[in-house]
Amino acid sequence: MVGKNTTQLGARSEAYEMFQQEGRSLNVSYENDRLNEIRQNESSGISIRAVKSGKIGFSYSSKMDEFDFVADSAIRLAPYGKPYDYKFADKAAARGEAPVNPACGELSVEQIVETGNRLRDMIKQAHPEALAECSIGGGIGRTRIVTSGGQESIEDSSSFGYYVGVKIAEEGNFLFAYRGRSSSQPIAESEMMQNAREACDEFAAARKTLPFKSGSYPVLLTPSALSDILMPIEVSVNGINIAKKTSSFVDAMGKQLFDKRLTITDDPFHAEGPSGTTFDGEGVPASKRAIIDAGVLKGFVHTLSTAQKSGHTPTGNAQRSVSSLPMPGWHNMIMDAGTDDLAEMYRRAEGGLCIRQMLGTFTSNFLAGQVSGNISLGFAVHEGRNAGRVKNCALNVNAFELLKDRILAISSKREWAGGAYLPYVLVDAVSISARD
Amino acid sequence: MKEFLTALAKKADADYCEIRLEDSMQTSLAYLGEDLENVQESHMYGGNVRVVVDGCWGFVTFNNVDEIERRMREAVTNARAAARHAKDRSVLAQVQPVEATVKLNVRTDPRKVSLDDKIALFGGYNQILLRHPGVTSTNLRYFDKYSRIYFANSEGTWLDREAIDMGMGASAISRKDGTTARGSASQGGRADFDIFRGMEAEMHEAAKTAVEGASASVIEGGNYTVVCDPNLAGVFVHEAFGHLSEGDNVADDPRMQEVLKLGRKFGDGYLNIYDTGLDEGLRGYLAYDDEGVKTEKTWLIREGELVGRLHSRETAGRMGEKPTGNARAISYKFPPIPRMRNTCIGNGPHGSFDDLIKDVKLGVYAIDSAGGQTNGELFTFTAGEAFMIRNGKLAERVRDVTLGGNVFDTLRNITGVAGDYNVHDSAGGCGKGGQMPLPVSHGSPHIKIKDVVIGGR
Repeated sequence: MVGKNTTQLGARSEAYEMFQQEGRSLNVSYENDRLNEIRQNESSGISIRAVKSGKIGFSYSSKMDEFDFVADSAIRLAPYGKPYDYKFADKAAARGEAPVNPACGELSVEQIVETGNRLRDMIKQAHPEALAECSIGGGIGRTRIVTSGGQESIEDSSSFGYYVGVKIAEEGNFLFAYRGRSSSQPIAESEMMQNAREACDEFAAARKTLPFKSGSYPVLLTPSALSDILMPIEVSVNGINIAKKTSSFVDAMGKQLFDKRLTITDDPFHAEGPSGTTFDGEGVPASKRAIIDAGVLKGFVHTLSTAQKSGHTPTGNAQRSVSSLPMPGWHNMIMDAGTDDLAEMYRRAEGGLCIRQMLGTFTSNFLAGQVSGNISLGFAVHEGRNAGRVKNCALNVNAFELLKDRILAISSKREWAGGAYLPYVLVDAVSISARD
Repeated sequence: MKEFLTALAKKADADYCEIRLEDSMQTSLAYLGEDLENVQESHMYGGNVRVVVDGCWGFVTFNNVDEIERRMREAVTNARAAARHAKDRSVLAQVQPVEATVKLNVRTDPRKVSLDDKIALFGGYNQILLRHPGVTSTNLRYFDKYSRIYFANSEGTWLDREAIDMGMGASAISRKDGTTARGSASQGGRADFDIFRGMEAEMHEAAKTAVEGASASVIEGGNYTVVCDPNLAGVFVHEAFGHLSEGDNVADDPRMQEVLKLGRKFGDGYLNIYDTGLDEGLRGYLAYDDEGVKTEKTWLIREGELVGRLHSRETAGRMGEKPTGNARAISYKFPPIPRMRNTCIGNGPHGSFDDLIKDVKLGVYAIDSAGGQTNGELFTFTAGEAFMIRNGKLAERVRDVTLGGNVFDTLRNITGVAGDYNVHDSAGGCGKGGQMPLPVSHGSPHIKIKDVVIGGR
């Protein structure tokens, strides 16, 4: 049926791209010690980009059977749209294989609830005074892209994710310590339990607060805090900012921008990554690429459109949902491990801070390299460990400068933080503003 | 539809069942620099079923409405599974069933404005930004959305609601010597497309802000007295106190109930904070919430004292309090949870903006918000633009002004509330629990806060 429809669409338009997606998911959540909700989602949708008179129209419907409405709407809107100055994806073979595990679609409510209960009970045993939070879920999906250029990609995907945390709201010390990650594979309960224990340990260390004065300090960035510090790089290699020349990286390809120990790769095929894909959201083959290699800028992150505007080759980084246009985005951000021992890095951070969570950094002026925000969960480091929580402190750094010449050490240990697999990084001379 | 859905809700093998069907159509425009990057029409149609069995929830969503009965059975199965393992039970606060039809009350319906007209209007604004010397790029987004939502529950409530939601956000971007700065203008509402007309002066001002911002110095980090304009103060009250007041923060947490005990003093006698769904025309307006509860004006702080919070039927039931009409979901893909509507600081006794700054020797005037976040106790906001205040007068422009602090200390540190309340909608929305963007509003007069931590060089 769709084959016949796309043939008709091809006859009515100068070029087209059809994107279909459907999926289902299951999630079990615990809030404040309580099994809060079991949620099942089924979703679907179809969208079309059609070219008429050299311009592109876009339309979407959540009803899979509304092909005609979507096609008519896209063709009607096309004369208003942006010029079709690139080509929808040509027929091309995959450059690798993204991991998929159908088991993510066969999760048992009973099993998840039992795991959730065990996590909650473990947290309550460690900290009876606190409240346990937990969410576990997964799902599967299928994406189909057909273009007038002859590309037809059908790709299955799978996802599994969890977080587990321990929290308390006390006068003067609201505290939430948590761990979690997403993957294309089911995650073992043993890992969740281990991370719940780590969250409990961190919670214990944070119950004590220590005074902290404004000044310049060595700071140990955990992978989750580092992901905030890397945002200026993420934004600056984004094809939109390259095409619009709003990124300071526009003319920096091949230049040594950062410390030689900094190597960051975009890897759509990573076995554990949550955002793996064989083809991107435009049907372009995805590939594993170094973006920063030994501190040197090596790659940008493009859609077909931003690549064309920038005079670059498409990189297979179009990210989208069925209801939105493709935008450039990373798949899985993988930073190379360093050689430093984490315990030794703690010792070198003596008198400084270890930051686990930042707050509100997304409002920073990333294109200028700036990362600002409140330190949501940070620790004063004494005698090689997190000695106590620091409060009412804000951080403001220029990440471009920080990652160029103020890196003291990079750990051999890495952890997932969202879609990024990152080490701990110790940096020097970070300005901390505190309400003294 | 009414007979079908109400009969179905009552047929569910559950203690409580509600069904939501939603049909919406959205038109969107997006400019990036010179390009009209996107012109889009979207049709969303789908629904959800939410049930309670033995005090536990099951929730399912679907796009294929033909499968509603099968999905309803799955929701019941899930709720039963939860009930087998749960130690606690939810209690829904009682409300009187209602039957109501909410029709549009729109002066100029955006659906009747031609696409050509919209493109001429917003494209013209984009050109004003682009033509301003020193502006290197722009970003302008507009949307209008018409929704029709049917809601039925097993208690006999039936609602047939129509709504329009509109928003526009425009940014000018300027780059100078590696520094990038933005200036913004926005508008939004539910009642009249014509609010978007005549914004040329705001566009010129946004462009000027971006260009001047790129040449401004980064503020020196430290503790300052900060005067917030009504928009930033509104964002502050939304992020820092509104979220804290949402019932799901409090209902199951005895320690939080101690911290947020009704009657507790949070600020001086001139501090008044409320959340209201009654302001027709604002994006935060709603006649009924997504559990079928009639909306209201809910006082949170009166004369400095905590007097209320924002409830769904579940959180109200758990706390033995009254539902406030704050249960909201961004679409049928999510369950309703306690959310804000139009959250405001009321007018105070401290005169005008000039009166607030006249005694400030060294401070910051923070205007508009580039975004913010809170974790309940701590907050971070970035000002859209900012100026130093020196010896009671506005001085030089500064950039990268990020305000941080402790919510409770900051409320206590509000030392001035002017009498110039203003509310101004934008294209943005509130995010919580994966549900973003929910249309909300926030308003305030100018306020003065002492001892605010500003991150800087």
